[in-house]
Amino acid sequence: MSRLNYHIILFVLGVLLVINGGFIVLSSIASVINDEPDMWLLALSGFVTAAIGAVTMAVFSKHKKQMASREGYLIVTFGWLIMALSGMVPYLVTTDLSITDAFFETISGYTTTGASVINDIEALPKGLLLWRSMTHWIGGMGIIVLAVAILPLLGIGGMQLFSAEAPGPSADKLHPRIKDTAKRLWLIYFGFTIAEGILLRIAGMNWFDAINHALSTLSTGGFSTKNLSLAYWNDQPVIQYIVIFFMLLAGTNFVLSYFAFKGRIRKILMDEEWRLYLFFIALFTLIATATIIGKDAFAASEYNPMVWGANEAAFRHSLFSVLAVITTTGFVTADFTAWTPLITILFFGMFFLGGSAGSTSGGVKVVRQLILIKNSLLEFRRTLHPSAVIPVRYNGKAIKSPVVYNILAFFIIYMLSFIFGAIGLAADGLDFVTALGGAASSLGNVGPAFGDLNPLSNFANLSDFSKWWCGFLMLIGRLELFTVLILLTPYFWRNR
Amino acid sequence: MKIIIAGAGEVGLHLAKLLSFESQDITLIDNTQACLESAAQQLDIRVVKGDATSISILQGASISQADLIVAVTSSQETNITCCVLAKQLGAKQTIARISNTEFLENQDNIGFKNFGIDELISPEVLASEEIRLLLDQSAFNDSFQFDNGALNIVGIQLTRTAQIVGKTVQEAGELHPGVNFMPIAIQRYGTQYTLIPRGDTLFKDGDQVYFTTVDDGLEEIYTLTGKIKQSLKNVMIIGGSRIGIQTAKSLLQGGFRVKLVEMDGEKAFDLADQLPDALVIHGDGRNAELLAEENIHEMDAFICATGNSETNLITCLMARSKSVKKTIALVENMDYFQLSHSIGIDTLINKKLLAANNIFRYVRKGEVVAMHMLNNMNAELLEFRVHERSEVNGKLVRDINWPRSSIVGGVVRDDKGFIALGGFQIQPGDKVVICCLPRSLSKVEKLFE
Repeated sequence: MSRLNYHIILFVLGVLLVINGGFIVLSSIASVINDEPDMWLLALSGFVTAAIGAVTMAVFSKHKKQMASREGYLIVTFGWLIMALSGMVPYLVTTDLSITDAFFETISGYTTTGASVINDIEALPKGLLLWRSMTHWIGGMGIIVLAVAILPLLGIGGMQLFSAEAPGPSADKLHPRIKDTAKRLWLIYFGFTIAEGILLRIAGMNWFDAINHALSTLSTGGFSTKNLSLAYWNDQPVIQYIVIFFMLLAGTNFVLSYFAFKGRIRKILMDEEWRLYLFFIALFTLIATATIIGKDAFAASEYNPMVWGANEAAFRHSLFSVLAVITTTGFVTADFTAWTPLITILFFGMFFLGGSAGSTSGGVKVVRQLILIKNSLLEFRRTLHPSAVIPVRYNGKAIKSPVVYNILAFFIIYMLSFIFGAIGLAADGLDFVTALGGAASSLGNVGPAFGDLNPLSNFANLSDFSKWWCGFLMLIGRLELFTVLILLTPYFWRNR
Repeated sequence: MKIIIAGAGEVGLHLAKLLSFESQDITLIDNTQACLESAAQQLDIRVVKGDATSISILQGASISQADLIVAVTSSQETNITCCVLAKQLGAKQTIARISNTEFLENQDNIGFKNFGIDELISPEVLASEEIRLLLDQSAFNDSFQFDNGALNIVGIQLTRTAQIVGKTVQEAGELHPGVNFMPIAIQRYGTQYTLIPRGDTLFKDGDQVYFTTVDDGLEEIYTLTGKIKQSLKNVMIIGGSRIGIQTAKSLLQGGFRVKLVEMDGEKAFDLADQLPDALVIHGDGRNAELLAEENIHEMDAFICATGNSETNLITCLMARSKSVKKTIALVENMDYFQLSHSIGIDTLINKKLLAANNIFRYVRKGEVVAMHMLNNMNAELLEFRVHERSEVNGKLVRDINWPRSSIVGGVVRDDKGFIALGGFQIQPGDKVVICCLPRSLSKVEKLFE
């Protein structure tokens, strides 16, 4: 291995800062429209960020255009960190949040987690709220490139299986076509966001809420502009069904959405991951609906009016909660932890499912579960026929065993991270349920959790240590573990 | 007939040999001097050294007057190029040997005729078809179908339990008065020559007998010979060669349970990828322990299709010793063919022989619809179409002046098979199946010209 090309890394980080600055300036428009006093502070922080980025770009403009996988890992991890660090500036200049809280809120945004430490969201300036949703959306854009273009090339966690054209994992240099693929998928991402915004506006939200929620849905983030999250619209089922539909899309591989636009419907219907994803959603919704239908836990109240009848409400809240958790969006219409113990444990399990690979959702991802389950079942057959070659098949193709090992390793490291995460939180004094839930939620980028972190509360009461710890879990979970953790291994830094 | 054969490999040489015996005008083109020299010494043919895709070489072989060019080099690209060029240079008919079975599967929508290839021949596909047929009719060790099964010819080895052993052909016929089968060739145990049976010919223990059958004739042959129709289910194939894969594919389609053993790890993975329904075993097929571990004694059939003839023979013998009902070995060396029955392997398959026989029918005079060589015998099966002007047209079978060493196996009329006895009248459009020894071939041809 050659020396690390620091110049290109810093150059790319500069580019990211300019982009980030641009988006901050963009969100200050909301401040301008609402004539908020701090609009100039917001715009100014955007300009400063962009300026720092531009200077960095200028200084390192003469970089060698050579990049290998090691540079890739560094750019991805530090890219997310630099975004979070620059993205917290608007919080610091317009509110009195501490650095810890501001960082937590931004990293929760960029990792599309959606966990918040702000108690009264509605009191925040509009410009900052838009910026808050925007961090989700930018994070989602990053994830699409990461999942579709970068991770397959780095060969992380079996991701090479799920990319658009499945390039071999052997390619050491990043592929020029990444740009094209990413552009097409961004276009779909962008189009879906606009579509949801317009539909939500038509369904009765105001423009500001509609845009914010669209940004936050497609990125499977979960920041809302209301303290009650989506429960604010419990008397407007149409709005919630629109959000349900777009959560479903956001948790679907964007490559499949691309195929849909190309008219290759068959390819979508035959996609094993997508079918299992839908199956999980249907199964859990069915169980949840059956459990809460006609129960006291779901009695009509001012908070939960029965617009289209109690049965419809039970179904809608079940479906909504299942999608919010499985796609790791984390919007809330009802507190699913208060339903029954069975539902609580099922939802806890769902924290580890995640949506499809190539979507903006977090978690382990359905395809990995699929391959692990298949592989485990085949192990019985392999025991009977020790010399037989019995590969796992995914979408009709046999998968080479190194890829399966890679996915196994991913799963094990995921579970270890979860355990260490929970231990960390417990060491800080959180109770058993809260520690487990907090770790699973942060690692899977879900948002709401269990115990003291249930869907109706937030992460505000955690200690500073727990907030940083959760932030770290969010980052490694979001970047598919290997990308960040590899930087902590000695092999990475050796020049040979 | 002027015939050019490109490629002096096994297929090319075998073809050249078959054709030169009939004093056809053969030109053999090949790159390697050694192959050509031995061919030129043994056979009465013309040899040209050079690249079969070279225009000047083809012209040197006077391609413009050629009635047929057969491209059977080991490279399908060379064969295709050679045929395309030859057609443009004036050859009347072209045949290319290919190895990619996709070409055959898409023969209709690609239209190979449009760019000058009249026929595609894939030895691998022929071999796998042959194996499939043999497994479908498991009691027989050789089997031919005419017109999609309207008429069948099957080979069988008589054992002492057979009713007909010790009886003459006439007596055997009296056991089953319906005329649904007829013996057309017999080879005595341990000999290498072929008898064309007459009414007084005696069936003996160990005879290899070929019968033609129509309708329920197959069932009658089972009872006559004391064989039981076994339904085969579990098949083990050794060697993931092209034939191995092709056979596995076709058997899987037929509902067989297939185990495929391949030595090379990477290849085994590819096979597992290609054949999701087969169980692919990574290991050496010669390893008895491995075979025992994979339950060889429960296998109904054992097909050995590695690239090495000796491995195939020995492994088949081993399977035989584990009481596998049916063993088939792929053999490259034609000399081994004579061993087939005496060493106890049911059937030997030679893909090149199959290919050569398949090609051979194109060079027959008269309209030959199909032709086969009887396994391990020197008798040939020919299917002729009867024309208005054919000598046999309108005559009764007994009135035709058949050569001594030939026999009418049957007639296919309007997709229905008939056993043609003396009183059968031949009509135009009939397809007549004849079994004859090579020496009377030309006489038979004349009858149908």
